[in-house]
Amino acid sequence: MSTAIASRTPVPSTSGAHGVNFFRVLDSEFIKFRTLLSTKILVLGTFVAIVGVAMLAALARWSIINQMTSTEGPGGQKMTPQQAAESIPPGQGFELYNLPNAGLNIGILVLGSLAVLFIASEFATGMIRSTFNAAPDRLSTFVAKAVVLVVVSYVLSIAGGALSFLLAAPMFTGMGLDLDWGTDGVLYSLLTGGLYVSGVALIGLSLGTLLKNSAGGITILVAIMFVLPFAGSFLAFVPGDFWKYVPQYLPSEAGGRFLSIGHADGILDPWQGGLIFLGYVILFMFPALFALKKRDV
Amino acid sequence: MIEAQGLRKVYGEKTAVDGVSFTVQPGKVTGFLGPNGAGKSTTMRMIMGLDRPTAGSVTVNGLPYAKHKAPLHQVGALLDAKAVHTSRSAYNHLRAMAATHGIPKKRIDEVIDMTGLSAVARKKAGGFSLGMGQRLGIANALLGDPQTLILDEPVNGLDPEGVLWVRNLARYLAREGKTVFISSHLMSEMAQTADQLIVIGRGRIIADTTVDALIESQTRKRTLVRTPDTSRLGVLLAGEGVRVDQNEPETLEVSGIDPRRIAELALENRVLVYELTPLTSSLEEAYFQLTRDEVEYHSHLESHTGQAPGPVNGAPGSGAPGTRRMSDAEAAAMEGSQR
Repeated sequence: MSTAIASRTPVPSTSGAHGVNFFRVLDSEFIKFRTLLSTKILVLGTFVAIVGVAMLAALARWSIINQMTSTEGPGGQKMTPQQAAESIPPGQGFELYNLPNAGLNIGILVLGSLAVLFIASEFATGMIRSTFNAAPDRLSTFVAKAVVLVVVSYVLSIAGGALSFLLAAPMFTGMGLDLDWGTDGVLYSLLTGGLYVSGVALIGLSLGTLLKNSAGGITILVAIMFVLPFAGSFLAFVPGDFWKYVPQYLPSEAGGRFLSIGHADGILDPWQGGLIFLGYVILFMFPALFALKKRDV
Repeated sequence: MIEAQGLRKVYGEKTAVDGVSFTVQPGKVTGFLGPNGAGKSTTMRMIMGLDRPTAGSVTVNGLPYAKHKAPLHQVGALLDAKAVHTSRSAYNHLRAMAATHGIPKKRIDEVIDMTGLSAVARKKAGGFSLGMGQRLGIANALLGDPQTLILDEPVNGLDPEGVLWVRNLARYLAREGKTVFISSHLMSEMAQTADQLIVIGRGRIIADTTVDALIESQTRKRTLVRTPDTSRLGVLLAGEGVRVDQNEPETLEVSGIDPRRIAELALENRVLVYELTPLTSSLEEAYFQLTRDEVEYHSHLESHTGQAPGPVNGAPGSGAPGTRRMSDAEAAAMEGSQR
């Protein structure tokens, strides 16, 4: 069996002697990400959309506060802008410090879909076979894609959020409200907003891996992030107090709560919301990793 | 070097590959031949670790594919010409693949030149013709300058010049001492490219031999006899181990008896014979002979017209001794009457 032993030693190649490792796979995935025109357009469009939607949302809040301060309340007194701002119910994501995240939902929609596409399109085109020939352990590819998506989602959300806040804050300071980077919760919501979008992107990547199908993955992601909370809001009409507290455990509600500050009775604390959301991310990710490792491609 | 041991793959109720064992040696072009659906692609996917074998094992250059530290330098594969993202350019596809092994840009340009893709390298791979897609797949396989090459139907969709190029490339790489494993359902192509042949049918290896030995083993010596009195000569020739087929008027194909004996019989019985030609089989015929019972998808036409000479029934020696097969003209007439 001398031939078998001899053949175990790697055969030299003229095109280099490097092996595959995680950083090279990561490099490859970054190249894949930036060499698709559709991805570049989508990322740019998302940035514009995040800022644009944030502007509209800021305008809506501005007009509500403006209306509250210009019309007389039941007591015959006009509210001050401070009182109007404080009357916004806490923990719902409408507070002024949450302005950086005003356009976040559009980022969730697009980046989540992009994450589904990032792997499902490889299954659809057959590219996945080339990918797994180059990195046959498979999991490194998933982790590399996850890193790419988290970095892109985080940077894009933070950049979009910061620009939104910079543009929107003068509207409110013009009313005499105190609002700048030092205001409680502004930096916190900006930084956690990026984490939330990254988490949704990871759920999208997992769905794309599990379903191997772009349309199916995006549909389910939208259902989870946008349809479920809508359906959940009807639970409030069910008699009894219990059902009122159920919707806040949905991924979108728990994740959204993570972006707010402060304690409120009857609802989760921000850190609890964050942990529950992280739990959902893991819940989707592990079956995806398992399926990727075991399934034929 | 590829070594498969009892490799088996079952999809649901269908057994695609049924316990195959074979060795593909370096320094040779090994053809992997079989009808559509015989299990060629499944076997190749199992070699590349893309499909998990139901049973058995396969190693490439001594290790299971996934255990290699630098798999692209060990094995290059063209499994599917479409294993490329359609919206990415050929160059960027190769760049992403090369990045996984730190392969320098110079090598990307080399394989693009080698495969004649220079003019279209910056275009989206989705717009490529079948032939261009095959070239990109081959460029992808060559990227790591691997010791072992696995090409699944590489000449599909290539123009004659491309077919010749693949043939020369395969032979060149084999001469360099590399292991070259090429699947095809085109017998004629393999006859010109391969040294060794592994023939698979319905998931089982039905031959593992050299090209010459395959022709030798699968063919009986046959003689073409032209005579105006075919029925009489047919009766005279009939005997132990002798087959007589008629495909054309005044023409018999006789096997199991040598030409000299046919001439003697004709002379003794005063039957006029105006041609007597020894026939040697082509590899194509040997292949049909071998895979006759292993074809997964028989053409539909065959079941309608029954005896019409098709690729499957038309194999030599399939008729009973002395039987006369329907002539082309008759088959056409029959088909016409069915319309």
